[in-house]
Amino acid sequence: MLDLLFLAIIIAFFLLALAYIAGCDKLRKGEKS
Amino acid sequence: MTTNGILQILLFFFVLTLLAKPVGIYLLKVYNGERTILSTIFGPVERLFYAITRVDPAREMNWKQYGIAMLLFSLVSSIALYAVQRLQFYLPLNTQEFAGPTADSSFNTAVSFVTNTNWQGYGGETTMSYYTQMTGLALQNFLSAAVGMALAIVFIRGIARFETDKLGNFWVDLVRGTLYVLLPLSFLAAIFFVSQGVVQNFKAYDTAQLTQSFVVQVDKKDADGNVVKDEAGENVKEDSTVNTQTIAQGPVASQLAIKMLGTNGGGFFNANSAHPFENPTPFSNLIQMLLIFIIPAGFTYTLGRMVKSPGHGWAVYAAMSILFLTGAFITYGAESQGNPLYPANVDQVVVGGNFEGKETRFGVANSALFATVTTDASCGAVNSMHDSFTPIGGMVPLVNIMLGEVVFGGVGAGMYGILVMIILTVFLAGLMVGRTPEYLGKKIEAYDVQMATLYILIFPLTILGFTAISSVSPDFGLTSLNNQGAHGLSEILYAFTSGTGNNGSAFAGISANTLWYNTTIGIAMLVGRFFMIIPMLAIAGNLAGKKKIPATLGTFPVNTPLFAVLLVSIILIVGALTFFPVLSLSPILEHFQMYAGQTF
Repeated sequence: MLDLLFLAIIIAFFLLALAYIAGCDKLRKGEKS
Repeated sequence: MTTNGILQILLFFFVLTLLAKPVGIYLLKVYNGERTILSTIFGPVERLFYAITRVDPAREMNWKQYGIAMLLFSLVSSIALYAVQRLQFYLPLNTQEFAGPTADSSFNTAVSFVTNTNWQGYGGETTMSYYTQMTGLALQNFLSAAVGMALAIVFIRGIARFETDKLGNFWVDLVRGTLYVLLPLSFLAAIFFVSQGVVQNFKAYDTAQLTQSFVVQVDKKDADGNVVKDEAGENVKEDSTVNTQTIAQGPVASQLAIKMLGTNGGGFFNANSAHPFENPTPFSNLIQMLLIFIIPAGFTYTLGRMVKSPGHGWAVYAAMSILFLTGAFITYGAESQGNPLYPANVDQVVVGGNFEGKETRFGVANSALFATVTTDASCGAVNSMHDSFTPIGGMVPLVNIMLGEVVFGGVGAGMYGILVMIILTVFLAGLMVGRTPEYLGKKIEAYDVQMATLYILIFPLTILGFTAISSVSPDFGLTSLNNQGAHGLSEILYAFTSGTGNNGSAFAGISANTLWYNTTIGIAMLVGRFFMIIPMLAIAGNLAGKKKIPATLGTFPVNTPLFAVLLVSIILIVGALTFFPVLSLSPILEHFQMYAGQTF
């Protein structure tokens, strides 16, 4: 059970990081427009 | 401080300076895709990699594609390393028949090695099989270092290129960095370490009969193996006579080489580079310190050449050198003063100062130097116990990490860290003269500064947030401490600073292999690595797209001593403003308490 929890933390973190990339890019596009 | 000690520190710096340029030129060739002296050997291997993985080396990526590739690679690496640990009992080369580490420890170690932190909540020789050490930990030592180097090159390309969104190919940078830089240098270093007495074998551990047995106190256990407790709930102790010593073995030299070169720092043994099988001689100690700094130092020259301003590279090298030498001599000065609480009849001068937690074969000077080098870079290997340093001597390693490990820094991480600081420096210089800031022909605009600010704020937020929670949580934060008061706070602060800064060195004195610390330090390592890389990549992408503007009389030159001094000032001010309050409650307070006669 703990294995699933920690694997879920790892996967959730990297999904968050992908969203972070999208957020930084959106901010940049907002600056340019 | 002795003349001998001072000369040894200066000798180290002199040799490093001599090596910076040739290494920088070599790195330039590798990342520009040029032919090197190793192309004959590794060229076919490189092409085979691309053929198998169907990577087109000519196809370059923008910053988002580069970032996504890096994240996916790190995600797969983390899960694979987690699985190797949990399944190690069923995997080969497990001579001691170790069970898999607990789930929380495996999580901590997996993200630790993938983020190039190498924080170790476990003891290597009592936890990890040779298979896990080699295919899990040592493999990530190579790959996480290669990822860091690739990211540094991307940032430099972002500065060097104009009006493009292409920053290179992640897979090509990863493969070339591993094949042409890390693998050959590690091979040579491993051979050297074996010559010095570092072990390299697959033998089961030896057992030696002690010539003189001794008695230790251990927890008393009942017939079922459970620890016996008294009425107050404390563990009952009993005497145990020790007649034998287990001599751990293993493929140490091969892991040691990349541990230093890749600024990983995770020891094969729990005692890390203080262990005689992992750092047997003063000569091996010197080479280990040089291996930590050699690639980050070379990157300063690579920067200068790639942006067509060698003077800028040397100015960055000078700024790093000022901070490095200052830190080294403060640590050495503090440690050579000795401990004022020893009775007057204890002669500390004869051993060179405060000798607690230090190895006799290295002495005070080389212990202080090693501590400075390993925390300037994001290495984290130790040859002495930082917890036993004087408060000021122990504060320097802590501050080095708090400054963002930009003093040469980790392989790649140090370079992109200081480039973010440079962005801030030219921004502030621009504000001072009332002009739009420029850096090497590019205007520094709001978005660049926003991302740089994000990069800088994430770091203290993570460290101070987790430290604050742990410091007021008696059930899971404070129970792991071996010391109370200001020193106890230093131990918690160091743990989260080391984790978030991807350093990995331990202050010791804190039992971090608990569910709370394994999980929170694990999260701190992930945030400290990837949430800082992403804004850095965004700056690189934004810079690469800018037009070149000609330098004018109002342009702040970035290849002068003034720039180096301003850069040093900005690094210190940002670090001091952020962390001075917590430092004043930990090592600074402890320093005054020590002179008032109080210990913890």
